[in-house]
Amino acid sequence: MAAPVRRVPVEERLFSLVLALLASAHGLTKAEILSTVTGYAARYDAGGDRVALERQFERDKEDLREIGVPLETVDERGAEGDTKLQRYRIDPARYQLPDDVRFDERELALLVLAARVWRDGSLSSDSRRAVRKLQSLGVRVDEGVIGFAPTIRTRDAAHEPLAAAIDRGQQVRFDYVKPGTPHAAPRTVSPLALVFHEGRWHLHAHDDSVDAPRTFLLRRIVGGVELTGQPATRKAAHDESARVLAELEQLWTERVGVVRVRQGSEAEVVLRNRAGTEVLDVENDAVPADTRRLLLHATDLDILADELAAFGGDAVVESPDVLRGAVRTRWQRVVSIHG
Amino acid sequence: MADRAAPPKATDKLTFLLALVPYLIDQVRVTVDEAAAHFETTPAQMRAYVELIAMSGTPGADGGYTHESLFDIDWDDFERGVIRVRQAPMEEIPRLSGREAAALLAGLQRVAALPAFTAGVDVAALMAKLARGASDAPAPVAVRPAATAELHALLASAVAERRRVRIDYVTARGDRELREVDPIRLDDIDEARYLRAWCLTRDDERTFLLDRIASAELLGPAEVHETAASPDELFHSDPADELVTIALPAAALPLIADYRGADDAVRIEGDRAIVTLPIAHPGVLGRLAARLSGELEVLEPATARAALIEWARAALSGSA
Repeated sequence: MAAPVRRVPVEERLFSLVLALLASAHGLTKAEILSTVTGYAARYDAGGDRVALERQFERDKEDLREIGVPLETVDERGAEGDTKLQRYRIDPARYQLPDDVRFDERELALLVLAARVWRDGSLSSDSRRAVRKLQSLGVRVDEGVIGFAPTIRTRDAAHEPLAAAIDRGQQVRFDYVKPGTPHAAPRTVSPLALVFHEGRWHLHAHDDSVDAPRTFLLRRIVGGVELTGQPATRKAAHDESARVLAELEQLWTERVGVVRVRQGSEAEVVLRNRAGTEVLDVENDAVPADTRRLLLHATDLDILADELAAFGGDAVVESPDVLRGAVRTRWQRVVSIHG
Repeated sequence: MADRAAPPKATDKLTFLLALVPYLIDQVRVTVDEAAAHFETTPAQMRAYVELIAMSGTPGADGGYTHESLFDIDWDDFERGVIRVRQAPMEEIPRLSGREAAALLAGLQRVAALPAFTAGVDVAALMAKLARGASDAPAPVAVRPAATAELHALLASAVAERRRVRIDYVTARGDRELREVDPIRLDDIDEARYLRAWCLTRDDERTFLLDRIASAELLGPAEVHETAASPDELFHSDPADELVTIALPAAALPLIADYRGADDAVRIEGDRAIVTLPIAHPGVLGRLAARLSGELEVLEPATARAALIEWARAALSGSA
């Protein structure tokens, strides 16, 4: 008669799996794992149906990879691809934090602070897990030392699915509202990097519908991100995000607009507080005395036009003409839509 | 909402166990209370984790678990509230995953823009060390450091040192006002930076947009105030606000998410969305219209409709 089976909590099964795979020098086959490791073994039936147990093992492998445990699959020599003979293992050298990676109290305090920058979403759970792992170093961090940091909220719903898709190298599909237009069009892209620039999250991707690189604003991705089920057509370079950031920075430096604002107005206060704004000399007599000329930077003139249109008559675009025209078009649209 | 802790997932508990084991081995002897404090959990929870560890081990060659392959905890010590691991089948400190390292690196870039926090730390070396501590290349995420606005630094120090601040503020109505406030915290939400503070002028908690603060100066020490608002609520609508019904392309609805409350009525008609929301000032309608590149129609009331048309016409004539 079989002894009653103790219900093993999920974390205990996962922990036992890590212990078994770390300890095994040559790895374990799936059958060895399912028949011996706590959490599987009691439910293992050598001759019977193992579909449910195998499915559970597949999910567990995903869970381990999710939290960064380097689970490897080793093919049996001469039997490549035979999943029955494949062995699973965790190389202790790849699992373990290198000996020279240690943090002192000040460094750890700074890392705790860095983790707290993220208020929600996957960046928040990833950074909290990182801090949890670093707590194993036993370095005591005084709350008083940590202090206070600004937080960034990733309210964009697209952030999480895109981060996951980049991580797993998957192609995605979404509807995008291009700046300057109010309507959405579908895009199929291979996501490469998420970049926070000018206060906005950007996705850099290879747009597979037009076979060209494109940068999207997360805020303008509407109606959810879906996986196409295909792998991404491009792989992110290790310095992808730094390169994209540098490109955006370059665009931002080059694209400028000059506006006239009334001194003391809301437009003056808000636009002077914008990153990179320069106050220009008033050089011509036609400009009223209480007017200030401001030089503004932007990566996208359509988005700058939205920003400037909000001030109505308080911000008048001097140059370039395309920006001046774009702002006027927005006001004309308001008039005609109500006509 | 965001701050409410979700129940820990099995992977969270596993991470806890994998971090706890090397800690206990490194400490040699540690009290349950001290370990619980270090891992920010309760002594009862810490005991439960240690008991789970004590039952775990590695399967032997014959497939069974024997005493030699299990963790060995000193139970007499444990009775007295002390944890001592006598034998352990694992002792490795876990590496960070690529995504975990990336999240810390991106946060670090943001913090590094505020020099007050990085005193005495070589940030570049710390970043390199973090990347080396990851099991694969950190997933690409990058944050451009915030423009080191002096205003932001001044307000950050006011929050940290609990100082009162006088701000020259442009209200939503476009009025300039001098206000004395006791700062509570600073938030960056997508495109906007906010100061949450107790406003002494209004004797209530208020949210100020940083880009509407023309200047700020530090005053004396701040007082402690009874704060009632939920930490996630930034603005609450005033009952005096006028209810305005607008129509916009349905796809563009997310673009005005920050103007909408949870209770605002939305009706989708074909590819148009009809939304009714409280509007504090006619100027807000212009800002909403601009956000939608002009693609907004005010349906009612007629006064709001006329105000928006007037606003757009005035802007057009002013720039002609």
